[in-house]
Amino acid sequence: MVAEVPWLWSGLGAYFAATLIAIWGVAPRFAGMPVIQNRRHEYAVLAFLMLGVTLLAVAIAERWLRIGHGPWISLFELLMSQLWSLGLIFVLLYWRLPGLRPSAVIVLPVMWILGSWVLTLEPAASHFPPTYYNAWKWVHVGLGKIFLALLLAGVGLAGVLILRHTRRGQAWFRNMPSNVIVDRLAWRFMMLALVFDSLMLIAGAVWAQDAWGRYWAWDPLETSAFLTWLLLAIGLHLRLSYRVPPVVSGLMIIGVFMLAFATYFGAPYISPAAHKGVV
Amino acid sequence: MRCRCLRVLQMLNFLRKFASLKIALLGMALLAIGAMLSYGNPLGTPVWVLVAPMALLAVNLVAAITTNPRINQQPGLLVFHVALLLLLLLATVGRLTHLDAHLELVVGTGFEADKLLEINAGPLHPGSFDSVHFVQGPYTVEYSPGMQRGLTHSHVKVKTAAGAWEGRIVGDDRPLVMDGYRFYTTFNKGFTSVLTWLPAGGAPVTGSVNMPSYPLFEYKQDNRWTPHGSNTEIKFWLQLKTAMNAEAHWVLDAASSSGVLIVTSGDKRYEVRLGEFVDLPQGRLRFEALTMWMGYRLFYDPTIQWLFFVAIMGILGLTHYFWKKINLQPWMDEKPDTIAEQAGKPLDGIGSPSSGKPSGNNAPVTTAYLTGEKH
Repeated sequence: MVAEVPWLWSGLGAYFAATLIAIWGVAPRFAGMPVIQNRRHEYAVLAFLMLGVTLLAVAIAERWLRIGHGPWISLFELLMSQLWSLGLIFVLLYWRLPGLRPSAVIVLPVMWILGSWVLTLEPAASHFPPTYYNAWKWVHVGLGKIFLALLLAGVGLAGVLILRHTRRGQAWFRNMPSNVIVDRLAWRFMMLALVFDSLMLIAGAVWAQDAWGRYWAWDPLETSAFLTWLLLAIGLHLRLSYRVPPVVSGLMIIGVFMLAFATYFGAPYISPAAHKGVV
Repeated sequence: MRCRCLRVLQMLNFLRKFASLKIALLGMALLAIGAMLSYGNPLGTPVWVLVAPMALLAVNLVAAITTNPRINQQPGLLVFHVALLLLLLLATVGRLTHLDAHLELVVGTGFEADKLLEINAGPLHPGSFDSVHFVQGPYTVEYSPGMQRGLTHSHVKVKTAAGAWEGRIVGDDRPLVMDGYRFYTTFNKGFTSVLTWLPAGGAPVTGSVNMPSYPLFEYKQDNRWTPHGSNTEIKFWLQLKTAMNAEAHWVLDAASSSGVLIVTSGDKRYEVRLGEFVDLPQGRLRFEALTMWMGYRLFYDPTIQWLFFVAIMGILGLTHYFWKKINLQPWMDEKPDTIAEQAGKPLDGIGSPSSGKPSGNNAPVTTAYLTGEKH
């Protein structure tokens, strides 16, 4: 077993514990009571999330030391680093915005898509292409991580808006504010996401110009990233100008997230060119 | 005067027709469709699928910036939309003036514009390479086990404005930039046989025969050449000895490489070593040197710095707008803050602004719960 795997499993274990406690915190059938009114379970969720982030950071560091470069190349590395960054940013939001805490029951299971995916992959060492020595890689990837984490936070609130149309959803999220506030908060995350998405595209273009001698070439990943930006812009225009019902609003956010998810974890592995670093 | 005012009003009314949000949404939707159509095959897709929606969006942007107070009276939003318009214009100028090309430069030779291959230039490209003077020097390419290509260090000598020659090292993400032209090393590089041809009764000519890319075509290091005034083709095959090792780190460079040139003319085959002659029916051939060539990608677009600057300005504008919007109203304020919410009706039965209560279970909305940890 390679060095990073036990840390990865431990980190995912901590995330799993956080997920269970978050669900236990809002779901009456797990707790045997209407809704848990105290904050203790939230602090437990926060603690396990922080533990998970720390353990995943150790896993990334162990792998970095083992193969000599950061988590930039293979899908295994990409998923591991996204689990870490999504967890880290969600911890910060969870800590600073108590109002969105119940939405962890939506956010954490979404993260588990990545968590269960990474467990199916081989942690084989990857080749570090020469074009990845460029410092813009850090800017591009860092901004991209913030963008995806903001979208994920928006998805959590979008899920609340949609689930509140069910009796169970109303019970689960009764301690959250009104739909007006949840909807506004979700779209504020989308506004910030648009800023970070735009900056990510700019940094990516600078990197691409240095690395491959062109700033934009409509390769599959670039096209997919542009479609995500466009869909986000369309969503924001609709939300800021029309009366969008909460369910539609939530579905729009989820649609943007799904496209971003496909861009991050699908397109780089469809395209045999540029972004996989073989050029 | 009155007539001029009327004309301005008529123009503004005309522009207003193109300023609608519906046109913006249509333009963005068409652009998304265009991008989807070009997915994975941008060169095989008609360019109008992207250009037409962009043109529609440009008209819409001009109209909206000019006539829509929601845009032109909010500095951040105005800067963002002007930046979007400028990006479209700059991208257009970039496509009209750009140049993309490839180049194979033999070590020891200088850049010449007529050596450019696969040229793709915009109709307004200036086409002047008067200030581009550099000579290719030796280079190295590192390889990891599994033949994974690593860093390239290509030495070049550049002629400065003062007329002096200055050494530089370029490679991978460090292009050679001269007068806006950017030369990038590529994976395409290999060996060259420098030969002197002494035709019967003619003047000697020295030139080079580039072999296919190495180590990509390591098994196929051959090429052919027909001497001027002859009908018989001469075939060359280079038997190389390099540091190549598929299972270890190694460095590709001319200094640690040697080779024997197999020359075939008609049905006769000769082995020629460095410095040796071979007499062929058409003349005499001398193997002068074994060296290397480097394949460059050439890129020119005078707008790239401006694109970056305008894009950053646009994002600053957008950030300013969002920041102002978010700061105007606390995150958990129940008051409406968008056109949709200002319509007066609740967005939904649950927790409407008018009732301030969730409809599902009639529990009070716990706004304070969201504002901090004081509970």
